[in-house]
Amino acid sequence: MERSSSLQRLRAALFASRLDGLITVVLLAALLAGGQALLHWLVFKAQWAVIQANSTLFAIGRYPLDQQWRLWLLSVLLAAATGVSWGWLRAFPRPDRRTRLWPANDRLAAAVLAGLALLLPLFLQLSAAISQRWWGITALLLACRWWAGRVGPALPAAVRRGWPVIWPLLYLLGMTLIAGGLGLPVVSPSRWGGLLLTLIEASFAILLCFPLGVLLALGRRSRLPLLRWLSVLYIEFIRGAPLITLLFLGQNILGLLLPGGFSPDRVWRAAWVLTFFAAAYVAEAVRSGLVALPPGQMEAARALGLPVHQAMLKVVLPQALRVALPAMVGQFINLLQDTTLLSLIGLFELLGTARAVMANPAFLGKDAEVYLVLAVLFWCCCAALGLGSRALETRLNSNPQPA
Amino acid sequence: MAPSVTPWWRNRRLIPWLVQAAVGLLVLVLVAFLLGNLVQNLAAAGLLLTWRWIGNPAGFDIAGSWLPFSADQPYWWALLAGLVNTLRVVVIGLIGASIVGTAVGVASFSGNALLRGLARVYVELIRNIPLLLQLVFWYFVVFLSLPGGAQAIQWPGVVLAQSGLYLGMPELVNGVWQAPIRLSVEFAALLTGLIVYISAFISEVVRGGIASVPKGQWEAARALGFSPLQTLRRVVLPQALPVIVPGLNNQYISLAKSSSLAIACGYADLYSVAETTLNQTGRAVEVMVILLGAYLAMDLVISALMNALNRAVQLRSR
Amino acid sequence: MTDRDLMIEARGVQKWYPNGYHALRGVDLNVYRGEVVVIMGPSGSGKSTFIRTFNALEDIQGGSIVVDGMTLSDDVRNIDAIRREVGMVFQQFNLFPHLTVLENLCLAPVLVRKRKKAEVEQEALALLERVNIREQAHKYPGQLSGGQQQRVAIARSLCMEPRVMLFDEPTSALDPEMVQEVLEVMQELAREGMTMVVVTHEVRFARQVASRVVLMAEGEVVEMAPPEQFFTAPQHERTRQFLSQIA
Repeated sequence: MERSSSLQRLRAALFASRLDGLITVVLLAALLAGGQALLHWLVFKAQWAVIQANSTLFAIGRYPLDQQWRLWLLSVLLAAATGVSWGWLRAFPRPDRRTRLWPANDRLAAAVLAGLALLLPLFLQLSAAISQRWWGITALLLACRWWAGRVGPALPAAVRRGWPVIWPLLYLLGMTLIAGGLGLPVVSPSRWGGLLLTLIEASFAILLCFPLGVLLALGRRSRLPLLRWLSVLYIEFIRGAPLITLLFLGQNILGLLLPGGFSPDRVWRAAWVLTFFAAAYVAEAVRSGLVALPPGQMEAARALGLPVHQAMLKVVLPQALRVALPAMVGQFINLLQDTTLLSLIGLFELLGTARAVMANPAFLGKDAEVYLVLAVLFWCCCAALGLGSRALETRLNSNPQPA
Repeated sequence: MAPSVTPWWRNRRLIPWLVQAAVGLLVLVLVAFLLGNLVQNLAAAGLLLTWRWIGNPAGFDIAGSWLPFSADQPYWWALLAGLVNTLRVVVIGLIGASIVGTAVGVASFSGNALLRGLARVYVELIRNIPLLLQLVFWYFVVFLSLPGGAQAIQWPGVVLAQSGLYLGMPELVNGVWQAPIRLSVEFAALLTGLIVYISAFISEVVRGGIASVPKGQWEAARALGFSPLQTLRRVVLPQALPVIVPGLNNQYISLAKSSSLAIACGYADLYSVAETTLNQTGRAVEVMVILLGAYLAMDLVISALMNALNRAVQLRSR
Repeated sequence: MTDRDLMIEARGVQKWYPNGYHALRGVDLNVYRGEVVVIMGPSGSGKSTFIRTFNALEDIQGGSIVVDGMTLSDDVRNIDAIRREVGMVFQQFNLFPHLTVLENLCLAPVLVRKRKKAEVEQEALALLERVNIREQAHKYPGQLSGGQQQRVAIARSLCMEPRVMLFDEPTSALDPEMVQEVLEVMQELAREGMTMVVVTHEVRFARQVASRVVLMAEGEVVEMAPPEQFFTAPQHERTRQFLSQIA
């Protein structure tokens, strides 16, 4: 009986009418043909040497060999912090839920991570030393996750509340490790490249565009005409311009706008342009959150005696940001994707590195392999961010809001 | 108790003016500083604002230009040619992306599970890969690898060869394809990439619009004997359009702006011509003004058209 | 009644809306400690606007307002000080939906009066007990009924230990079966000696609890009298007209 009902369901889903049946057959045929061709190419024709030989370049650009230990140190710290944060996030669900140390999603995520950590070094043909370091780092991440989950509930609440402060500290520490200073030899931004540069540009822009966007959104909703007009002008100007023209503007005009033609490194110029660009879009997202706020919230807060800044921080913004979160994360994902445009202004982030690698006569014609790997990499990052955003959304909205 | 004098910096009526004055002053100082530097630096380089250079011969060529162009034509003609190229790609791209996007959006409501699944996969795949990456993929991996000459892909009325896309009645003459309409590979790659990318977003807009129509409408139509296609055309779409059109506005503007990535496909659009012009003349400020002005104008035109369309599709209520 | 018992003194209050409409045309009112003053009137009479001038949610262009000896001025610090002592309950409750009931109550005392969270929580729970809603302390406003939300709103204002409580049509947005529970809480509050100014249409409440009933129309005070006199023997034609409309 079981088999016939599932067969019936399949029939209803795919062959409900003659047209449906035809569509199914055509699609299946196309999928099989395409899939077979792709598989054939992947297994027999593709040559992955271009990735393997240049894996360091793709990962960190031309970062000096003797200073790479700083990047390893940063990776270790990031892995530990991520593991602990992940563990504590899971160990402290909402008061009305039960705790499980390793819920199903987590086990899946851990399995995927472990799998990636095992397979990637093999695929990239990394040296034994580097492979071991990656296995060690992944193991550290999972160990921290496990430890945090077990130890978490026993720790005082103050520790758990204070923990998020580790991230800005880690970010500052990370930038110091990467760039130099404080006793460490300086590594010029022109030597940063590949995934490292992509992440630096994206993280810098994401971190800074958020407060700027909030300010712009508040300005746009302000009753003071000057603030409103300035915000509108800024937002509409930025939204009307293609990013590449703004990046171009940043590269060419910034030097003219500063005294003596002084201009900061190209990497920072691009980072600031990305920041100012994204801020306009984040502002629109936050504005939609502010608009969705029930009227009278600000009034009630002020009537209780709360000064304006407290009312904003504790009442208005928490609610507005909750509503704006999906749109904001969407902008962050766009930012990550927009870092590829930096390749058009001569920076060697992932896509720029790829183009440079393919200009090498030894790797001519290997475009498909390289672009495929990049596509998979971006797809995984963006899809993960999207999933994380939806999870965060569900968690924030699990406390019921008024209908 | 006699009322005490309110200090000006705590006075509720004065504070809005103080804040605006402070912000206004800050902005003015900043702008003055930047402009001052700009003028100083430009003067030092002998590049003070002028438009006289725009009549000088360009000295570069524009491949695939619709307007007749050669290297001795003035810069303004070159920029115009670039603008025309941009408009070509934008107009055709908008039409193509709308068609494909609507098809995919509608497909996600199909009764066929495979079709629905494929639509979902299409959208999720395209949205999470950067546009620039997709463009270089189409150009370098697909279109530049097309076979040439007699091995070109031949369909009735259409020939896809490495030398271009031929429409009309293509015929092979001495190993070279000829046809009334010839599109360069660069144009074809850019167009394909843009259409595929934006269609994914348009499909989401269409999907959201159709989903906003109450289920009861579908049921009522079925009860009246409409076929699914008729239901869509006559009952659902008219109610979905007021929701879809504003979302389309955003996507169309996005497409117009994304066309500026043409330089990655070797297509000479407005941005790429402007970049070349700037590199040759050093006239950064003037070129930037032209560029930003042109894209802003495009956005305004698209928004105006979409607003008119929006008014036309709004359901009339009493 | 000595001057020390004068909680609110409004003299010649004038207000124009930005579009030029003259909302308050020289309104006078004295509210003494422990009194319950009920303000009634047709919609658009300015009664809500009037009580909102007491805690500066509406600003005035003429006249003066003194709250428990503090003159309301344009000084931001002065306004905040007055708002601390004046509690307000809104028609739409205006609870903070992203905080639990307990957090709603404790937010202001902790941030504004700079008190310790543990202390305030104890007091807040006691207050919730008083309004019969102790068991909902850890729920979110969205999980409560309208009547429960309004009682939480009252408790939230009380948590700041105000000297005067303002009620702006507190039951107008409630379903009829929930109006009574809120009015009972307000009645209890009055019995304990809270100074209250209430804008409402609830005649029975006014008759039972009010010290004085005020009729406002077109931005002016038309009549002011103890409830027995107001409802049975109104002096002004306008009052008679109004009473006949709401009877």
